[in-house]
Amino acid sequence: MSTNEKENGKSIINSEISRRDFIKTSAVVGGSMVVAANVNTAFNKIREFGELSNGVEASGSYPLNDAENIIYSVCLQCHTGCTIKGKIMDGVLVKIDGNPYSPMNMLPHLSYDTPPTKAAKYDAKLCPKGQAGVNSEYDPYRITKVLKRAGKRGENKWEVISFDQAINEIVNGGTFADGTKTPGLKDIRAVTDPDLMAALKTDAMAVAGGDMTLDEFKSKHADHLDLLIDPDHPDLGPKNNQFVVQNGRIEHGRKEFSKRWLKDAFGSINWYEHTTICEQSHHIATIQVTNQYKGDGGWGGGKEQLKPDYANAEMVIFFGTGAFEANFGPTPMSELVTWSLTYRNMKMAVVDPRLSKTAAKAKWWLPVKPGADAALALAMGRWIIENERYDAKYLVNANKAAAAADNETSWTNSTWLVKIENGKPTRLLRPAEAGLGDVDGFVVSQNGSLVVVDPNDADNAVEGDLFAEGTVNGISYKTSFQLYKEETMMHSMEEWSDICGIPLRKIEEVSNEFTSHGKRVGVDFYRGPVQHTNGYYSGTAIVMLNVLVGASGWTGGVGAGGGHWHEDGSKAGQPFPIGKAMHPGKVGSFGVTLTREKWHYEKSTLFKRDGYPAKRPWFPYTGNVYQEIIPSAASGYPYPIQALYLHKGTPAFAAPGGNPVLEAIADPNVIPLVFADDIVIGETTMYCDYLFPDTAIWERWGTPHITPAIQSKTSKFRQPIVDPLVEKVTVFGQEQPISMEAVFLAIAEKMGLPGYGKNGFGDGMDFNNRQDYFLRMAANLAFGDKEDGSDAVPEADDEELRVFREARRHLPKAIFDEERWKSVIGDESLWRRVVFLLNRGGRYEDFSKAYKNEKLGHPYSGLFNVFVDNVAAGFHSLTGEHFHGLPNYQPAQDASGKDLPEGGNDYPFQLFTFKHIYGGQSRTVSNYWAQLGVASENYVLMNKVDSDKLGLKEGDLVKLVSPSNPDGVWKLPNNEVKPVVGKVKPIQGIRPGTVAASWSFGHWAYGASDVTIDGQVVKGDPRRATGVCPNAVMYEDPVLKNASLSDPIGGSASYFDTPVNVVRA
Amino acid sequence: MPVVVNQLENAIVRMMDDLERALQKPPSERRWGMVIDLTKCVACDACTVSCKAENKTPPGVNYTVVIKEEVGTYPNVRSTFLPRPCMHCENPPCVDVCPVSATWKSEEGIVVIDYDVCIGCRYCVTACPYGARTFDFGEFYTEGTPMIAPYETAPTFEYGEERTRTEGESPIGNVRKCNFCVQRLHEGLLPACINDCIGRARYFGDLNDPDSLVSELLRERYSFKLKEDLGTDPKVFYLS
Repeated sequence: MSTNEKENGKSIINSEISRRDFIKTSAVVGGSMVVAANVNTAFNKIREFGELSNGVEASGSYPLNDAENIIYSVCLQCHTGCTIKGKIMDGVLVKIDGNPYSPMNMLPHLSYDTPPTKAAKYDAKLCPKGQAGVNSEYDPYRITKVLKRAGKRGENKWEVISFDQAINEIVNGGTFADGTKTPGLKDIRAVTDPDLMAALKTDAMAVAGGDMTLDEFKSKHADHLDLLIDPDHPDLGPKNNQFVVQNGRIEHGRKEFSKRWLKDAFGSINWYEHTTICEQSHHIATIQVTNQYKGDGGWGGGKEQLKPDYANAEMVIFFGTGAFEANFGPTPMSELVTWSLTYRNMKMAVVDPRLSKTAAKAKWWLPVKPGADAALALAMGRWIIENERYDAKYLVNANKAAAAADNETSWTNSTWLVKIENGKPTRLLRPAEAGLGDVDGFVVSQNGSLVVVDPNDADNAVEGDLFAEGTVNGISYKTSFQLYKEETMMHSMEEWSDICGIPLRKIEEVSNEFTSHGKRVGVDFYRGPVQHTNGYYSGTAIVMLNVLVGASGWTGGVGAGGGHWHEDGSKAGQPFPIGKAMHPGKVGSFGVTLTREKWHYEKSTLFKRDGYPAKRPWFPYTGNVYQEIIPSAASGYPYPIQALYLHKGTPAFAAPGGNPVLEAIADPNVIPLVFADDIVIGETTMYCDYLFPDTAIWERWGTPHITPAIQSKTSKFRQPIVDPLVEKVTVFGQEQPISMEAVFLAIAEKMGLPGYGKNGFGDGMDFNNRQDYFLRMAANLAFGDKEDGSDAVPEADDEELRVFREARRHLPKAIFDEERWKSVIGDESLWRRVVFLLNRGGRYEDFSKAYKNEKLGHPYSGLFNVFVDNVAAGFHSLTGEHFHGLPNYQPAQDASGKDLPEGGNDYPFQLFTFKHIYGGQSRTVSNYWAQLGVASENYVLMNKVDSDKLGLKEGDLVKLVSPSNPDGVWKLPNNEVKPVVGKVKPIQGIRPGTVAASWSFGHWAYGASDVTIDGQVVKGDPRRATGVCPNAVMYEDPVLKNASLSDPIGGSASYFDTPVNVVRA
Repeated sequence: MPVVVNQLENAIVRMMDDLERALQKPPSERRWGMVIDLTKCVACDACTVSCKAENKTPPGVNYTVVIKEEVGTYPNVRSTFLPRPCMHCENPPCVDVCPVSATWKSEEGIVVIDYDVCIGCRYCVTACPYGARTFDFGEFYTEGTPMIAPYETAPTFEYGEERTRTEGESPIGNVRKCNFCVQRLHEGLLPACINDCIGRARYFGDLNDPDSLVSELLRERYSFKLKEDLGTDPKVFYLS
């Protein structure tokens, strides 16, 4: 920040401060001006300073900790979504702290029955980014009205139009200044009849499955073939699927709201969120390893994440993440870890090529080679097996009853037998194959004789041999654990050490420490090891370390967290079953997803046409393959699309290798209609045809789920703290702020989509605005999970009702209308319970329920799959080869399964990125207190030995170049070319041979550059353009050409497999 | 081994109880002090931002910062994190140099500034050995953008006075510094940085009260002060 005296040209005494130029522009940008004007007149009472210095006590004039000025809600500056306490002065959100009722913010948290007037005094912890939410809310670059493109896509020339005009043009088609025309959604929504949708779905699936011929299908549906994307491939679904909704940071609540609208009412299958550009392979690896056997070859119910119980662990290992910066997330996790480090002598190892803030506190910093985390995990596995440091007593348990006999809540398939065919492990051996009768289940060896195991049998304990191999009925077999051992033996310890770049001595030390504390240890991982093409396999190799010591379920071990109450009404007795029912006229949807996700290629008619290799990868085991959405549309595979809606995301900026995405989205021939919501004109949303202002986090509703780092049951509830700055419009006869919800509702009204408006939820239950949806969710949470209502929260008393009303006195009727809200809930008692919940921003189980002595209060109960049969059953859609059922190490590969070439002399450094604590995704550059105030810019970090070799000094400008982007540029169509240039910062705390840049800088939009609205230029803020975003140089897949590299199983986009060079700019 | 976490006491609740006790006493019998556990600081700057939000400090005015340094050579390298508020010295060098007596050590141990007396000469900025004082040049973060954001023009309650930063009026043109959030203390609330600390590294309380958490920590842990050789006798203590 420039606070330079000379610059300001002022006297050193005090008063000659040059006049501030308070620019006022159109009402479009900077809607919060109106609010600002009110603030200055709000406070009159001045207390004399002398009173304080004389020691006279003040009283009552500090308003920020009065319950009447506080609304509890939920942050979303990052995905952790911490519970927050919003402090309001004259309608302005002036400070955000943590919510003392919540385990995320206080250790231990206040009792749930604490009156709000008392809790108001307790401010709880919150990270700097969460606190800087104030800056995001009142970002001067927020848009408040609807914008329509006035130039070419990306030119950043806009006109303000009415909300109704925008909705009309999106539904019926629009015309633009440059002569382009956009199609209307009414022409894309081909199938509108639920019965027809169901009939087409049944028969299309029969065609894909080989149970119906195409001719039979065509003759049966002759009248409706024009409604399909391709009558020759009915499994691609109806034309409705050519409308795609692509979400970035969307969470529970809005997620279900949005899916109900697109998939159930509009009738398109193509709804996506962004998880593959975050950490999806972490989820998929954990889900597959924890999938339960459902019988008849089916698997399901796996957990997305397991986390150590940091508060009680004696040793934890972080792979590619930490506790203090990103992860899930710093506010709840930091204190658990620091307390254990300081007062319990917990040991910590951090695997990260960068000396993160967590690594700075760790006993071991293991600066792994990016992408070689699996090699390290397998080396540890080898050491643990060779030194017999695994928990054999735990691992021999083959089913639930055996586990229970050992006071364990989990068991593994270590002892189950796997078939070996052509020298390769293929699938789990089934009883019939082993001549053990025609029963469901699997087979274990007991001292060499084979017996059947039912994994879920709670009565008959079955143990098995951990190591066994043999032949039965001509089928060779080995145990899962034997095969895992063989994977760890694929390389010597020295070779593993060489591959992962960690000295052998350190691997041994960490392995020894990890296996020296019984079950009070755990491994955590997140994005680092999995945003690679080998992400899934690396993830399973890491989870396996938790399995080896049997840490699951134990206090100080690992667990899936305390969970949450069910907001969707899915529990018997809950008042509003909004998740499954309550949708009259639901149309539904079907078809191959644009990204070919959750779909086996071999079960499609395109496989019958093309065989191997598929034109683009199919992803049978994952969803939300974000980086494939726009590139797939661009290549028209499996089909072209007509319209795209972007919500709270920036695929061009945030996904790796964004240039082809920019090229595609800028071209109306590729995607004829692009519309979006955003709170600021962003890097990708600047390429849309229509841009709607969205409500900001602190103005909206949501029911995000709790991080597994919290061991007690918790349901967070987001609600508006302040009046949204966006324009209000009328939809279904009700005034409401423009928002994602209002856009969907207005389109539903215009198109007559089923399940909206009068009786939209069923008789007597209208669906006219967002509150109609979210208040019912609140009611479900307040009611609880028990059918008899015994799990309900208390009723708010009259004093609590008073506080509730007072705290919302600044909200207009469109945002808070007590009588209307009450009528949505319907019942006085339930309404008072809802108020009790809203007065606390959610519901929180007591801290004492987190633990039951040596066991977690909510332990993970179930099976761990050492051999993942479900994945071993599937095929790589380009090579046609089976996936591997065991953890293993693979180098980075392209879409065709070919190893990528090393960078060599041309590209000698490996690039990676990380998140500092001030940066959320792409939206925290407006945070003048935190990201800009504290960090101000980012750097190209490299080890000093490398910068010395290149003759670079701190502050030198350098460009990053890579094999797929040798010029090192962002090519912004219809705009500029932005070089991938940043300032070098030589440091010691980074692995030599790597370069890194933190995420969240390097903007070209989001207030960083000028935009023209109604002919008036709104100047960008150069402070928001600082630093570098290296994503453009990340590998574009050499086979696909127009997309990043991806993990074919977990679906994660590869961010960290790119060799680069650093050249002087 | 027992489940240790169940023995945890809520540090915020404990410190607020300590505070309530201290406020019962005459001001001269309290001695406010801060204790910062460096083993628990995670360098997140939650304190920095909490202070900004509480006191609406503009660009260049920081009452507390976290100094981060890298020590050593790869692979034997560490990072050190040092939060640095005002030390509220018992013998504050900044006080003696003030030509107009605008700054002094209050009865309860806070080094305060009277904005209405301060002439902005900044001798104290130079005199402070800790760099804890900064000058308010009258800047706003959102200058040069389409609007000045309302969070910058919302009133603050520093020293118990409601003020809105307005050109030509205090605290613009004044030297500013940490005052232990005296406006909160006297309401029975902790300094904002204490509440928001996510690593629970910062503690606050009455050093004169042997039962306070800060006194307990100083008894049980090794502590040091910054630049002790200068004889300033800071009331901010570091645990390591």
